[in-house]
Amino acid sequence: MDQYLRVKRVAVIVGALLCYPETASAEEEREALRRQLTEMKQQLQRQQQAYERQIDALEARLDGLEAKSDEPALATSPAVAASPAVTRGDFQIGLSGLFAAGGSSVDNDALEALQAGAHDPNQNGFTVQNVELSIGGAVGPYFDGEAHVIFQIDADGETVVELEEAFFTTRSLPWGLQLKGGQYFTEFGRQNPQHPHTWAFVDQPVVLSRFFGGDGLRSQGLRAAWLMPVDWYSELYLGVQNPKGETVTSFLNAPGEDIGGHTLIDRDARDLGDLLYTARWLNGFDVSDTVSMNVGVSGLWGPNASGTTTDTAIGGADLYLKWQPARSQRGFPFVSWHSEVLARRYEAGDPGDPSRETLKDWGLFTQALWGFKPGWVAGLRAEYASGEGDTSADPWRDTRKRLSPNLTWYPSEYSKVRLQYNRDWADHLPDEIADSLWLQFEFNLGSHAAHMF
Amino acid sequence: MEKLFKISIGLLLLVASLATHAALRVVTSTQDVAAIAAAVGGARVQVESLTPGTRDPHFAAAKPSMIHKVSRADLLLVIGADMEIGWLPPLLQAARNARVQPGSPGYLDLSTAVSLLGKVDGPVSRAMGDVHAKGNPHYWLDPRNGLRMAQAIATRMGELDPAHEGDYQQRLKAFGQTMEAKLPAWRAALEPLRDKPVIAYHKSFVYLADAFGFRIVDEVEPKPGIAPSAASLSALITRIRNDGIGLLIMEPYYERRSAIYLHEQTGIRVAVLPQSVGAQPDINSYFDLFDAIVKALNNPGGP
Repeated sequence: MDQYLRVKRVAVIVGALLCYPETASAEEEREALRRQLTEMKQQLQRQQQAYERQIDALEARLDGLEAKSDEPALATSPAVAASPAVTRGDFQIGLSGLFAAGGSSVDNDALEALQAGAHDPNQNGFTVQNVELSIGGAVGPYFDGEAHVIFQIDADGETVVELEEAFFTTRSLPWGLQLKGGQYFTEFGRQNPQHPHTWAFVDQPVVLSRFFGGDGLRSQGLRAAWLMPVDWYSELYLGVQNPKGETVTSFLNAPGEDIGGHTLIDRDARDLGDLLYTARWLNGFDVSDTVSMNVGVSGLWGPNASGTTTDTAIGGADLYLKWQPARSQRGFPFVSWHSEVLARRYEAGDPGDPSRETLKDWGLFTQALWGFKPGWVAGLRAEYASGEGDTSADPWRDTRKRLSPNLTWYPSEYSKVRLQYNRDWADHLPDEIADSLWLQFEFNLGSHAAHMF
Repeated sequence: MEKLFKISIGLLLLVASLATHAALRVVTSTQDVAAIAAAVGGARVQVESLTPGTRDPHFAAAKPSMIHKVSRADLLLVIGADMEIGWLPPLLQAARNARVQPGSPGYLDLSTAVSLLGKVDGPVSRAMGDVHAKGNPHYWLDPRNGLRMAQAIATRMGELDPAHEGDYQQRLKAFGQTMEAKLPAWRAALEPLRDKPVIAYHKSFVYLADAFGFRIVDEVEPKPGIAPSAASLSALITRIRNDGIGLLIMEPYYERRSAIYLHEQTGIRVAVLPQSVGAQPDINSYFDLFDAIVKALNNPGGP
């Protein structure tokens, strides 16, 4: 406190010196003030040195206490570790492999529509769901970079290589801003940006496969995020991405594909208005010491390939709650609940086209996980998806329900074994129901994976 | 246009007003560090811990409320040595606060202030379990390391807030004096344990053993982070009997069944030790922590 006042006094004196009019009579006084200032500086320095001496003495005395004990482990003295190792620990590389085995009451052709995610187990027998090479780290003081390359073996036994994501993010823009650019998963809801090896179930929700395609919604673009200056976690994401390709299914999907009987044409983005615009607002709170919550809304606007002027809009809301007791071992026990609802409005056919219509679809999924003892998680997911109109023969728009209980065991942080049963009710199936059982195995090599909230 | 301009100015002012504040905002990864920072910082700082003392800090997840805290911090104090590896990197990226990024004056890894035990020379394989190659990160359980941490924190606070440097040093001195008074008393109280063999549940008490002179000869976990099996427990029972091991120490958040079983089979006493400030409601300061540990070691309450 004394020192604080002294520094303040120095400031006042310096201020006064600066303001003092240039007169001959002030010269002497100024000299006196300068001497005073120098004295005070020296005093400060002496005081600091005194503190340092006191600390050193204290350390020496404590080390003395140390020396009196004959504990051999004390051989590692502070001197040994005095050189803090500078590591380049921020470069991360990892490989994760995700495999499944199982079968279903329906054949492989029917499974391709039921298990429409590109990383879902979708064959009677074995599926290499996803082998992912991930590399990331700090590029410099201003950017982080990361890339994920996927290797897969498709139903015909061919190896497929895909650039899943490759993007940069800024590290330290002011005012809570962050930019991200490159090829990336669109931040729409909670599930879409997650990589297959972090999913809580062996397959992706039906409604996401319908609206975003087998690989999830990802494309090339740029987005800004703003961490808002409010008293809770609140973040706004606004972005723009290329609307073309099979990973932006509800927009300019590949020509020749069809939706609701409308064959898609080869349409390119003509101007900036023809790009895919993305928005998300995410909020997070601690409801109590043991319960935390995320709630978000997301929206997408862009052109679609059923005509030359047609557009699609998709909206969604998501809620995530997690309970963890005050005492927990290795993050267990816990209960989490994650729900999302999505709706799509798809203009099919240009004005003047006799088959022009607006396709309306919606769907939801809700899933609960219970980590009942360290390494063990039981899960249950319920899903619904439906399209307006006579859609009963269309596997991509019919009414579908699915119930999926599962059980996961994590032998260590770097591996898991999961057993999941799916009961499907789908209008397009001849029997309208299907039963499937899948066993999944995952391993992770390399960098420590992040603990997802 | 004029309206937009006014709103922008208003927003900027709002952001600016939130950015300026009197006290140094200190965020710590654990409650132990928070307790030391509060002792050294006094009224000049505002301290918040990201994880509670009741949980294992290694297994936290980057919660949204943590992003919010880190985004506003002036000083981030972490245990380091990979303790927070699972959640700090994504948290730092999400919080995007340039003041507390590694390498900035506002980021202090306290493992650089102490000498780590259990550094692994040679190759580390995950087949060995959850091994921390950089050294064992539970160093706050040696009170002498607490003083080293306090010293590093006081120096850093003084650098960030030079106007109150003397203040921080004064409080550090008081902290050191209390330590100097308490340490011999704790040592005297634990004299009966000197050189005695002890079993720990997890490899988290090596610093405590080092500070107070007992020997940890085995762990209940067969490999760090790997749950005990029937076979590993029966091997342990043989060892407890053969070597005459009288005490098992463990953190409150581990499962008790293994300890109960070992106690029933061999009569080994079990001391459930608070491993952190906040692990029990009556442990509010770093000194309270050792008072409670010494008490629990002297009167093992059983599993």
